[in-house]
Amino acid sequence: MKRYFRELSVVAALGAVLLGLAIFAPAFFQPQPLLSLVTREAPTLVVACGMALVIICRQIDISVGSMFSVCSVCAGLLAARGWPLALVLPAAAALGAILGAVNGILVAGLRLPSIVVTLATMVTLRQGLNLVRQGEFVNLPDSVQWFGLSQSAGQWALVVAALALLIALGVAMRHLAIGRFVYAVGTDAEAARLAGIRPQLVTFLVFVFIGVLTGLAAMMNIAQSPQVQPLSGMGLELKVIAAVVVGGVAISGGRGNLWGAFAGLLLLACVAPALTHLHIEAYWEKAIQGAIILLAVVADGVRSRKGGGNT
Amino acid sequence: MKSLLLRLCFAAALLLASVSGASAADSKLVVAFLPKSKGNAYFLSCKAGADKAAKELGVELLFDGPTDSNAAKQNEIVENWITLGVDVIAVAAENREGISTALRKAQKQGIKVLTYDADAMPDARSFFVNQATPEGIGYALMDEAARLLNSEGEFAVITASLTAANQREWQKHIEARLKDKYPKMKLVAVRPCDDLKDKAQSEATALMSANPNLKLILAICSPGVPGAAEAVKQAGKTGKVKVIGLGLPNENKRYVHEGVTDSVILWNTGDLGYLTIYAGIALAKGELKPGAKSFKAGALGTFAIAGDNILLGKPFIFNKGNIDQFDF
Repeated sequence: MKRYFRELSVVAALGAVLLGLAIFAPAFFQPQPLLSLVTREAPTLVVACGMALVIICRQIDISVGSMFSVCSVCAGLLAARGWPLALVLPAAAALGAILGAVNGILVAGLRLPSIVVTLATMVTLRQGLNLVRQGEFVNLPDSVQWFGLSQSAGQWALVVAALALLIALGVAMRHLAIGRFVYAVGTDAEAARLAGIRPQLVTFLVFVFIGVLTGLAAMMNIAQSPQVQPLSGMGLELKVIAAVVVGGVAISGGRGNLWGAFAGLLLLACVAPALTHLHIEAYWEKAIQGAIILLAVVADGVRSRKGGGNT
Repeated sequence: MKSLLLRLCFAAALLLASVSGASAADSKLVVAFLPKSKGNAYFLSCKAGADKAAKELGVELLFDGPTDSNAAKQNEIVENWITLGVDVIAVAAENREGISTALRKAQKQGIKVLTYDADAMPDARSFFVNQATPEGIGYALMDEAARLLNSEGEFAVITASLTAANQREWQKHIEARLKDKYPKMKLVAVRPCDDLKDKAQSEATALMSANPNLKLILAICSPGVPGAAEAVKQAGKTGKVKVIGLGLPNENKRYVHEGVTDSVILWNTGDLGYLTIYAGIALAKGELKPGAKSFKAGALGTFAIAGDNILLGKPFIFNKGNIDQFDF
């Protein structure tokens, strides 16, 4: 219980917000709009899972937003050319993997700081995309929306897929060797190396993995509307990093889990629709989200001072 | 047939030469037209109108711009045009102050300079061809919303951000118009979408569930219009919640045809290019001088001038009937 205090406190905060909404704005819980809102967050959850791994590994990837845009546009263009979805989906994942591998090689291979590397790829990919697309939307064939399913079946499919991925990864991080390696590298790379783990390989794989997840998330997003805006995914990096940090993953690596990141994402994602439902001015949105992040960071800081470490 | 065409062309050329006088007889006037970015469909549609005007006036049109919106590259292109010795430069400024030094230099060399779409510093150009005043846009949006709702009912606004200057300006005029003319309409919420279509879709979804009596969503940033439309469609509220906004025809065609979006409001970009070229040439010929109160531009007729702004006039409303005629 005490071990998961940090995660549980986020869940408690989320519970309080939902309880407040249930009392003051029960319309928030109408099933159909709520399903739509949750579906809109499914791609973000997938990227947040990847970001949790990267941060646990004591790295960061701020290029996910740009990767997301590039994968969305490329997948959209392939679909528009008549590629079947069964090919577009792996193509988007593969493109994500390649982009992630570039980050991974620079960070793990050349030992460059990940914040600088991914800042560079973030800007390069974003500007490259602007250059090619000039902001023009990609029109998708009808078969892409909801993967050809009905709207509600498509929405459920996306939500279930995102949750299944979360559960699989959450379990893998705890029980599989590779999952423990990520924690080990993030806690102390040198100790991990002495224990026979190859820290650079683990780091590389983590970057490839977040690339794959970003590619898949891009597909999950373009399935939700008939047009792709090349700007889509702008600011995604902040959203997922915030979710992960609020969820109790230590930015200094080695600590935290995906369940916390999930709760953090839900808590932050609640803010905007909650304000709409409570008829509170939108000016508060970013302020409240900022306050939540600040509170989380302060809580972590106080705790690590008390505990004398960040484990 | 071919020879007849040739003769006609020759006759037309002679006629133009005589009209434009002795100085133009040795060489055509050259007008250089600079977009913010040259592959952008918006500016290509401006260029279509500019081409038409150049053809009518018998002048040469140079069209060049950065491949992406790049202020430094704009300066480079203007410098090249100065070296080339063009007669007129028309610029959509990416960076208001950044471009002005180069434009002042052009003016010193006797080149007539005007801006369109996005202005430079006032002393760096003779006129700004103003496609829409904030008041014109705000009023047109509010009037269109009122027309669709018979001046009655709740509506919500989706903006790009609560702090962007142009958005705030439009918002202010929408609210002023609402207060003056439509007492039975109520603005229930203003939500930002960060210029993201995806976020606009989520915002619109929440707006509809939070406001069961919502009759219309008005998006004042271009990605907001298709974003809101998709949300309305997915909520199964097509027709019950109307969508209008400031946007681009191509991004909204599908929803306009499906009946989700009623009207998309912008200006006629072809007319903007056309008017800009006419004004530029009139400047070069000395027919348009600072202080003028109005200006006649070929087939489009007369435009008002407020100070040093040539006004394109009322915004243009794209709807089911006309939207397919536009490709940008």
